[in-house]
Amino acid sequence: MEMSAQRHKLDKVLARIERKIDLILEGVGKGHRTKCAGEVKGAGALDIMTLLSLPDHLRKTALTLIKLGRAIADDVAKETGRARAIESAYLNQLVRMEYVWRKRVGKRVYFSVEEKAKGKGSHPYGRK
Amino acid sequence: MNPGAVLTVHSYKGGTGKSIISTNLATILSREGNNVSLIDLDLRAPSLDKVFGVKRREFWVNDFLDGKCKSSDILFDVSKVTKSKGRLFVALANPSIEAIREAITKDRKGEMRALHRLLMLNEHLLEKMAMDYIILDTNPGMSYASINSVAAADLVLVISTWDASDLAGAQGMVSELYNILEKRAIVLMNKIPEQLLIDKAMRKRLADQFKKAFKLPVIDLLPCYCEVLRQERSTIMALERPKHPFSRSLVEVAKRIKEK
Repeated sequence: MEMSAQRHKLDKVLARIERKIDLILEGVGKGHRTKCAGEVKGAGALDIMTLLSLPDHLRKTALTLIKLGRAIADDVAKETGRARAIESAYLNQLVRMEYVWRKRVGKRVYFSVEEKAKGKGSHPYGRK
Repeated sequence: MNPGAVLTVHSYKGGTGKSIISTNLATILSREGNNVSLIDLDLRAPSLDKVFGVKRREFWVNDFLDGKCKSSDILFDVSKVTKSKGRLFVALANPSIEAIREAITKDRKGEMRALHRLLMLNEHLLEKMAMDYIILDTNPGMSYASINSVAAADLVLVISTWDASDLAGAQGMVSELYNILEKRAIVLMNKIPEQLLIDKAMRKRLADQFKKAFKLPVIDLLPCYCEVLRQERSTIMALERPKHPFSRSLVEVAKRIKEK
Protein backbone atom coordinates (compact mmCIF):
# COMPACT_ATOMS: atom_id res chain seq x y z
CA MET A 1 0.00 0.00 0.00
CA GLU A 2 2.77 2.40 1.04
CA MET A 3 4.76 1.41 -2.07
CA SER A 4 1.76 2.15 -4.27
CA ALA A 5 1.30 5.60 -2.70
CA GLN A 6 4.99 6.35 -3.17
CA ARG A 7 4.80 5.20 -6.81
CA HIS A 8 1.77 7.45 -7.39
CA LYS A 9 3.60 10.39 -5.84
CA LEU A 10 6.67 9.68 -7.96
CA ASP A 11 4.56 9.51 -11.15
CA LYS A 12 3.04 12.90 -10.33
CA VAL A 13 6.46 14.44 -9.74
CA LEU A 14 7.77 12.97 -13.01
CA ALA A 15 4.73 14.26 -14.92
CA ARG A 16 5.32 17.74 -13.45
CA ILE A 17 9.00 17.62 -14.44
CA GLU A 18 8.07 16.54 -17.99
CA ARG A 19 5.60 19.43 -18.31
CA LYS A 20 8.29 21.85 -17.15
CA ILE A 21 10.78 20.42 -19.66
CA ASP A 22 8.17 20.90 -22.39
CA LEU A 23 7.69 24.52 -21.30
CA ILE A 24 11.45 25.13 -21.25
CA LEU A 25 11.78 23.64 -24.75
CA GLU A 26 8.95 25.84 -25.95
CA GLY A 27 10.70 28.89 -24.50
CA VAL A 28 13.96 27.94 -26.20
CA GLY A 29 12.03 27.59 -29.44
CA LYS A 30 10.58 31.07 -29.20
CA GLY A 31 14.06 32.44 -28.61
CA HIS A 32 15.23 30.96 -31.92
CA ARG A 33 12.24 32.05 -33.95
CA THR A 34 13.70 35.30 -35.31
CA LYS A 35 17.14 33.82 -35.78
CA CYS A 36 15.93 30.98 -37.97
CA ALA A 37 13.18 32.85 -39.82
CA GLY A 38 13.43 32.86 -43.59
CA GLU A 39 14.93 29.42 -43.95
CA VAL A 40 14.16 27.53 -47.12
CA LYS A 41 10.50 26.54 -47.07
CA GLY A 42 9.83 22.86 -47.40
CA ALA A 43 13.40 21.97 -46.46
CA GLY A 44 12.00 20.17 -43.44
CA ALA A 45 9.57 17.80 -45.21
CA LEU A 46 9.77 14.49 -43.39
CA ASP A 47 9.69 12.27 -46.47
CA ILE A 48 11.13 8.76 -46.69
CA MET A 49 14.48 9.94 -48.14
CA THR A 50 14.89 12.30 -45.18
CA LEU A 51 13.93 9.46 -42.89
CA LEU A 52 16.76 7.33 -44.28
CA SER A 53 19.25 10.07 -43.47
CA LEU A 54 18.14 10.41 -39.84
CA PRO A 55 20.05 8.76 -36.99
CA ASP A 56 18.64 5.35 -36.02
CA HIS A 57 17.10 6.55 -32.76
CA LEU A 58 15.06 9.27 -34.48
CA ARG A 59 13.91 7.21 -37.48
CA LYS A 60 11.46 5.08 -35.55
CA THR A 61 9.92 8.14 -33.89
CA ALA A 62 9.68 9.99 -37.22
CA LEU A 63 8.09 7.05 -39.06
CA THR A 64 5.55 6.64 -36.26
CA LEU A 65 4.66 10.32 -36.43
CA ILE A 66 4.25 10.08 -40.23
CA LYS A 67 1.79 7.24 -39.62
CA LEU A 68 -0.13 9.08 -36.91
CA GLY A 69 0.02 12.48 -38.60
CA ARG A 70 -0.56 14.38 -35.36
CA ALA A 71 0.13 12.96 -31.91
CA ILE A 72 1.26 13.58 -28.35
CA ALA A 73 4.41 11.91 -27.04
CA ASP A 74 2.26 9.31 -25.24
CA ASP A 75 0.68 8.15 -28.54
CA VAL A 76 4.10 7.77 -30.16
CA ALA A 77 5.43 5.89 -27.12
CA LYS A 78 2.50 3.44 -27.32
CA GLU A 79 3.37 2.66 -30.96
CA THR A 80 7.14 2.38 -30.54
CA GLY A 81 7.10 0.66 -27.15
CA ARG A 82 9.64 3.13 -25.80
CA ALA A 83 9.25 5.40 -22.77
CA ARG A 84 7.18 8.55 -23.11
CA ALA A 85 10.07 10.73 -21.85
CA ILE A 86 12.37 9.31 -24.54
CA GLU A 87 9.83 9.90 -27.30
CA SER A 88 9.23 13.43 -26.00
CA ALA A 89 12.97 14.13 -26.22
CA TYR A 90 13.21 12.65 -29.74
CA LEU A 91 10.14 14.55 -30.95
CA ASN A 92 11.57 17.78 -29.62
CA GLN A 93 14.84 16.99 -31.34
CA LEU A 94 12.91 16.60 -34.60
CA VAL A 95 11.24 19.95 -33.93
CA ARG A 96 14.64 21.58 -33.51
CA MET A 97 15.75 19.97 -36.77
CA GLU A 98 12.68 21.58 -38.42
CA TYR A 99 11.11 18.32 -39.51
CA VAL A 100 8.24 18.39 -37.05
CA TRP A 101 5.72 20.98 -35.84
CA ARG A 102 4.74 21.45 -32.21
CA LYS A 103 1.57 23.01 -30.81
CA ARG A 104 0.51 23.29 -27.19
CA VAL A 105 -3.20 22.81 -26.53
CA GLY A 106 -3.87 23.30 -22.83
CA LYS A 107 -1.54 20.98 -20.96
CA ARG A 108 -0.92 18.78 -23.97
CA VAL A 109 1.79 19.24 -26.57
CA TYR A 110 0.87 17.98 -30.03
CA PHE A 111 3.47 17.09 -32.64
CA SER A 112 2.68 16.87 -36.34
CA VAL A 113 4.50 16.34 -39.61
CA GLU A 114 2.59 19.15 -41.28
CA GLU A 115 1.22 22.53 -40.34
CA LYS A 116 -2.53 21.87 -40.28
CA ALA A 117 -3.83 25.41 -40.68
CA LYS A 118 -2.71 28.98 -40.30
CA GLY A 119 -2.12 29.81 -36.67
CA LYS A 120 -2.09 26.15 -35.69
CA GLY A 121 0.99 24.04 -35.19
CA SER A 122 3.38 26.89 -35.82
CA HIS A 123 6.99 25.84 -36.11
CA PRO A 124 8.93 27.32 -33.21
CA TYR A 125 12.26 27.16 -35.03
CA GLY A 126 11.74 29.38 -38.01
CA ARG A 127 9.10 27.91 -40.32
CA LYS A 128 5.57 29.23 -39.99
CA MET B 1 4.48 -14.10 -41.85
CA ASN B 2 1.41 -14.45 -39.67
CA PRO B 3 -2.00 -13.35 -40.90
CA GLY B 4 -2.39 -9.61 -40.53
CA ALA B 5 0.83 -8.79 -42.32
CA VAL B 6 2.03 -6.64 -45.20
CA LEU B 7 4.25 -8.18 -47.88
CA THR B 8 6.07 -5.83 -50.25
CA VAL B 9 7.31 -7.39 -53.48
CA HIS B 10 10.39 -5.48 -54.59
CA SER B 11 13.34 -5.81 -56.96
CA TYR B 12 16.33 -3.79 -58.05
CA LYS B 13 15.65 -3.93 -61.77
CA GLY B 14 12.47 -4.06 -63.81
CA GLY B 15 11.33 -7.20 -65.60
CA THR B 16 12.15 -9.58 -62.77
CA GLY B 17 8.56 -10.83 -62.60
CA LYS B 18 7.32 -8.87 -59.56
CA SER B 19 3.81 -8.25 -60.87
CA ILE B 20 3.31 -11.80 -62.15
CA ILE B 21 4.53 -13.22 -58.85
CA SER B 22 2.47 -10.73 -56.77
CA THR B 23 -0.71 -11.54 -58.70
CA ASN B 24 -0.19 -15.29 -58.49
CA LEU B 25 0.70 -15.19 -54.78
CA ALA B 26 -2.42 -13.11 -54.06
CA THR B 27 -4.53 -15.59 -56.05
CA ILE B 28 -3.00 -18.63 -54.33
CA LEU B 29 -3.41 -17.18 -50.82
CA SER B 30 -7.03 -16.14 -51.44
CA ARG B 31 -7.90 -19.48 -53.03
CA GLU B 32 -6.57 -21.13 -49.85
CA GLY B 33 -9.20 -19.18 -47.91
CA ASN B 34 -7.23 -16.10 -46.83
CA ASN B 35 -8.52 -12.56 -47.24
CA VAL B 36 -6.00 -10.74 -49.40
CA SER B 37 -5.54 -7.23 -50.80
CA LEU B 38 -3.29 -6.71 -53.79
CA ILE B 39 -2.22 -3.09 -54.25
CA ASP B 40 -0.47 -1.84 -57.39
CA LEU B 41 2.07 0.70 -56.18
CA ASP B 42 4.11 0.67 -59.37
CA LEU B 43 2.82 4.13 -60.23
CA ARG B 44 5.49 4.59 -62.93
CA ALA B 45 4.63 1.48 -64.89
CA PRO B 46 1.26 0.10 -63.78
CA SER B 47 0.42 -3.38 -65.02
CA LEU B 48 -2.26 -4.94 -62.83
CA ASP B 49 -4.98 -3.12 -64.83
CA LYS B 50 -4.03 -5.37 -67.78
CA VAL B 51 -4.14 -8.50 -65.60
CA PHE B 52 -7.69 -7.76 -64.46
CA GLY B 53 -8.77 -6.22 -67.76
CA VAL B 54 -9.76 -2.86 -66.26
CA LYS B 55 -9.69 0.14 -68.57
CA ARG B 56 -11.67 2.72 -66.65
CA ARG B 57 -12.13 3.46 -62.99
CA GLU B 58 -13.34 6.50 -61.16
CA PHE B 59 -10.56 6.32 -58.58
CA TRP B 60 -7.12 4.77 -58.61
CA VAL B 61 -4.41 4.17 -56.00
CA ASN B 62 -2.85 7.47 -57.11
CA ASP B 63 -6.02 9.32 -56.07
CA PHE B 64 -6.06 7.67 -52.66
CA LEU B 65 -2.39 8.51 -52.01
CA ASP B 66 -3.12 12.12 -53.01
CA GLY B 67 -5.99 12.26 -50.52
CA LYS B 68 -8.68 12.62 -53.21
CA CYS B 69 -10.79 9.59 -52.21
CA LYS B 70 -11.41 6.94 -49.57
CA SER B 71 -9.87 3.46 -49.51
CA SER B 72 -13.26 1.92 -50.35
CA ASP B 73 -13.27 3.93 -53.61
CA ILE B 74 -10.17 2.20 -54.98
CA LEU B 75 -10.71 -1.41 -53.86
CA PHE B 76 -12.77 -3.88 -55.83
CA ASP B 77 -13.49 -7.53 -55.20
CA VAL B 78 -12.14 -10.04 -57.74
CA SER B 79 -12.79 -13.15 -55.63
CA LYS B 80 -15.31 -14.45 -58.17
CA VAL B 81 -12.86 -13.99 -61.04
CA THR B 82 -10.16 -15.91 -59.18
CA LYS B 83 -12.68 -18.42 -57.74
CA SER B 84 -11.26 -17.77 -54.28
CA LYS B 85 -12.54 -19.15 -50.98
CA GLY B 86 -11.31 -16.02 -49.24
CA ARG B 87 -11.83 -12.46 -50.44
CA LEU B 88 -9.40 -10.92 -52.90
CA PHE B 89 -9.46 -7.14 -53.23
CA VAL B 90 -7.42 -5.29 -55.81
CA ALA B 91 -6.47 -1.60 -56.03
CA LEU B 92 -5.00 -0.44 -59.32
CA ALA B 93 -2.56 2.29 -60.27
CA ASN B 94 -3.67 4.70 -62.99
CA PRO B 95 -1.98 3.68 -66.27
CA SER B 96 -2.58 7.02 -68.06
CA ILE B 97 0.50 8.99 -69.14
CA GLU B 98 -0.76 12.04 -67.27
CA ALA B 99 -1.04 10.08 -64.00
CA ILE B 100 2.45 8.59 -64.49
CA ARG B 101 3.85 12.08 -65.11
CA GLU B 102 2.15 13.36 -61.95
CA ALA B 103 3.51 10.43 -59.94
CA ILE B 104 7.06 11.12 -61.13
CA THR B 105 6.92 14.85 -60.39
CA LYS B 106 5.34 14.68 -56.92
CA ASP B 107 7.17 16.91 -54.42
CA ARG B 108 8.62 15.78 -51.09
CA LYS B 109 5.60 16.84 -49.07
CA GLY B 110 3.40 14.92 -51.49
CA GLU B 111 5.56 11.84 -50.99
CA MET B 112 5.36 12.25 -47.21
CA ARG B 113 1.56 12.42 -47.41
CA ALA B 114 1.56 9.38 -49.68
CA LEU B 115 3.48 7.39 -47.05
CA HIS B 116 1.04 8.51 -44.36
CA ARG B 117 -1.93 7.46 -46.54
CA LEU B 118 -0.30 4.11 -47.36
CA LEU B 119 0.26 3.34 -43.66
CA MET B 120 -3.37 4.32 -42.97
CA LEU B 121 -4.58 2.10 -45.83
CA ASN B 122 -2.72 -0.91 -44.43
CA GLU B 123 -4.15 -0.31 -40.97
CA HIS B 124 -7.67 0.04 -42.39
CA LEU B 125 -7.38 -3.15 -44.45
CA LEU B 126 -5.98 -5.22 -41.59
CA GLU B 127 -8.12 -3.90 -38.75
CA LYS B 128 -11.41 -2.86 -40.32
CA MET B 129 -11.59 -5.18 -43.32
CA ALA B 130 -10.02 -8.19 -41.61
CA MET B 131 -7.48 -8.83 -44.34
CA ASP B 132 -5.02 -11.65 -43.64
CA TYR B 133 -2.42 -10.45 -46.11
CA ILE B 134 -1.70 -7.25 -48.00
CA ILE B 135 0.57 -7.57 -51.02
CA LEU B 136 2.19 -4.36 -52.26
CA ASP B 137 3.47 -4.65 -55.83
CA THR B 138 5.90 -1.78 -56.08
CA ASN B 139 8.18 -0.30 -58.72
CA PRO B 140 11.80 -1.45 -58.99
CA GLY B 141 14.88 0.23 -57.55
CA MET B 142 15.16 3.04 -55.04
CA SER B 143 12.37 5.51 -55.71
CA TYR B 144 10.00 7.28 -53.32
CA ALA B 145 7.15 4.86 -54.10
CA SER B 146 9.27 1.74 -53.66
CA ILE B 147 10.95 2.92 -50.45
CA ASN B 148 7.57 4.00 -49.06
CA SER B 149 6.31 0.49 -49.81
CA VAL B 150 9.31 -1.08 -48.10
CA ALA B 151 8.79 1.19 -45.07
CA ALA B 152 5.16 0.02 -44.89
CA ALA B 153 6.05 -3.69 -45.05
CA ASP B 154 6.31 -6.36 -42.39
CA LEU B 155 8.22 -8.58 -44.80
CA VAL B 156 9.94 -7.76 -48.09
CA LEU B 157 10.08 -10.34 -50.86
CA VAL B 158 13.04 -9.48 -53.07
CA ILE B 159 12.80 -10.84 -56.59
CA SER B 160 16.16 -11.10 -58.29
CA THR B 161 17.31 -12.59 -61.55
CA TRP B 162 20.56 -14.23 -62.52
CA ASP B 163 21.78 -10.98 -64.11
CA ALA B 164 25.00 -9.74 -62.47
CA SER B 165 23.91 -6.09 -62.19
CA ASP B 166 20.54 -7.15 -60.77
CA LEU B 167 22.27 -9.30 -58.18
CA ALA B 168 24.70 -6.55 -57.17
CA GLY B 169 21.93 -3.93 -57.03
CA ALA B 170 19.63 -6.12 -54.98
CA GLN B 171 22.48 -6.81 -52.54
CA GLY B 172 23.00 -3.05 -52.23
CA MET B 173 19.31 -2.52 -51.47
CA VAL B 174 19.46 -5.08 -48.70
CA SER B 175 22.36 -3.39 -46.96
CA GLU B 176 21.46 0.22 -47.75
CA LEU B 177 17.71 0.13 -47.38
CA TYR B 178 16.24 -2.88 -45.63
CA ASN B 179 18.82 -2.92 -42.86
CA ILE B 180 18.40 0.81 -42.20
CA LEU B 181 14.62 0.44 -42.06
CA GLU B 182 15.03 -2.75 -39.97
CA LYS B 183 12.92 -4.79 -42.40
CA ARG B 184 12.81 -8.55 -42.58
CA ALA B 185 13.45 -9.73 -46.12
CA ILE B 186 13.59 -12.95 -48.10
CA VAL B 187 14.82 -13.58 -51.63
CA LEU B 188 13.14 -15.38 -54.52
CA MET B 189 15.44 -15.99 -57.48
CA ASN B 190 13.58 -15.94 -60.78
CA LYS B 191 14.39 -16.64 -64.42
CA ILE B 192 17.39 -18.86 -63.63
CA PRO B 193 18.59 -20.86 -66.67
CA GLU B 194 16.73 -24.17 -66.41
CA GLN B 195 19.80 -26.35 -67.06
CA LEU B 196 21.41 -25.03 -63.84
CA LEU B 197 18.52 -26.32 -61.76
CA ILE B 198 18.19 -29.85 -63.13
CA ASP B 199 20.90 -31.33 -60.93
CA LYS B 200 19.87 -31.23 -57.24
CA ALA B 201 23.41 -30.76 -55.94
CA MET B 202 24.02 -27.90 -58.34
CA ARG B 203 20.70 -26.31 -57.33
CA LYS B 204 21.62 -26.50 -53.66
CA ARG B 205 25.06 -25.05 -54.31
CA LEU B 206 23.51 -22.14 -56.17
CA ALA B 207 20.95 -21.54 -53.41
CA ASP B 208 23.77 -21.48 -50.84
CA GLN B 209 25.74 -19.02 -52.96
CA PHE B 210 22.76 -16.65 -53.22
CA LYS B 211 22.04 -16.99 -49.53
CA LYS B 212 25.65 -16.10 -48.73
CA ALA B 213 25.62 -13.16 -51.15
CA PHE B 214 22.37 -11.67 -49.82
CA LYS B 215 22.84 -12.73 -46.18
CA LEU B 216 19.11 -13.50 -46.35
CA PRO B 217 16.99 -16.64 -46.68
CA VAL B 218 16.53 -17.68 -50.32
CA ILE B 219 13.09 -19.31 -50.48
CA ASP B 220 13.28 -20.73 -53.99
CA LEU B 221 15.01 -20.67 -57.35
CA LEU B 222 12.55 -20.50 -60.22
CA PRO B 223 13.67 -21.36 -63.73
CA CYS B 224 12.91 -19.16 -66.70
CA TYR B 225 9.66 -20.61 -68.05
CA CYS B 226 9.18 -19.57 -71.67
CA GLU B 227 5.45 -20.42 -71.44
CA VAL B 228 5.00 -17.92 -68.60
CA LEU B 229 6.69 -15.19 -70.63
CA ARG B 230 4.60 -16.06 -73.70
CA GLN B 231 1.31 -15.79 -71.81
CA GLU B 232 -0.90 -12.73 -72.15
CA ARG B 233 -0.65 -10.27 -69.24
CA SER B 234 -4.20 -11.21 -68.29
CA THR B 235 -3.25 -14.84 -67.62
CA ILE B 236 -3.04 -15.76 -63.95
CA MET B 237 -1.05 -18.98 -64.08
CA ALA B 238 -2.14 -20.21 -60.64
CA LEU B 239 -5.74 -19.91 -61.79
CA GLU B 240 -5.59 -21.06 -65.38
CA ARG B 241 -2.74 -23.55 -65.25
CA PRO B 242 -2.53 -24.66 -61.60
CA LYS B 243 -0.57 -27.79 -62.47
CA HIS B 244 2.16 -25.92 -64.35
CA PRO B 245 5.54 -26.13 -62.50
CA PHE B 246 5.54 -22.31 -62.15
CA SER B 247 2.16 -22.36 -60.36
CA ARG B 248 3.17 -25.30 -58.20
CA SER B 249 6.43 -23.61 -57.24
CA LEU B 250 4.53 -20.48 -56.21
CA VAL B 251 2.19 -22.54 -54.02
CA GLU B 252 5.34 -23.67 -52.18
CA VAL B 253 6.65 -20.09 -52.11
CA ALA B 254 3.34 -18.92 -50.56
CA LYS B 255 3.64 -21.66 -47.95
CA ARG B 256 7.20 -20.63 -47.08
CA ILE B 257 6.22 -16.95 -46.89
CA LYS B 258 3.51 -17.84 -44.39
CA GLU B 259 6.11 -19.70 -42.33
CA LYS B 260 8.44 -16.67 -42.23
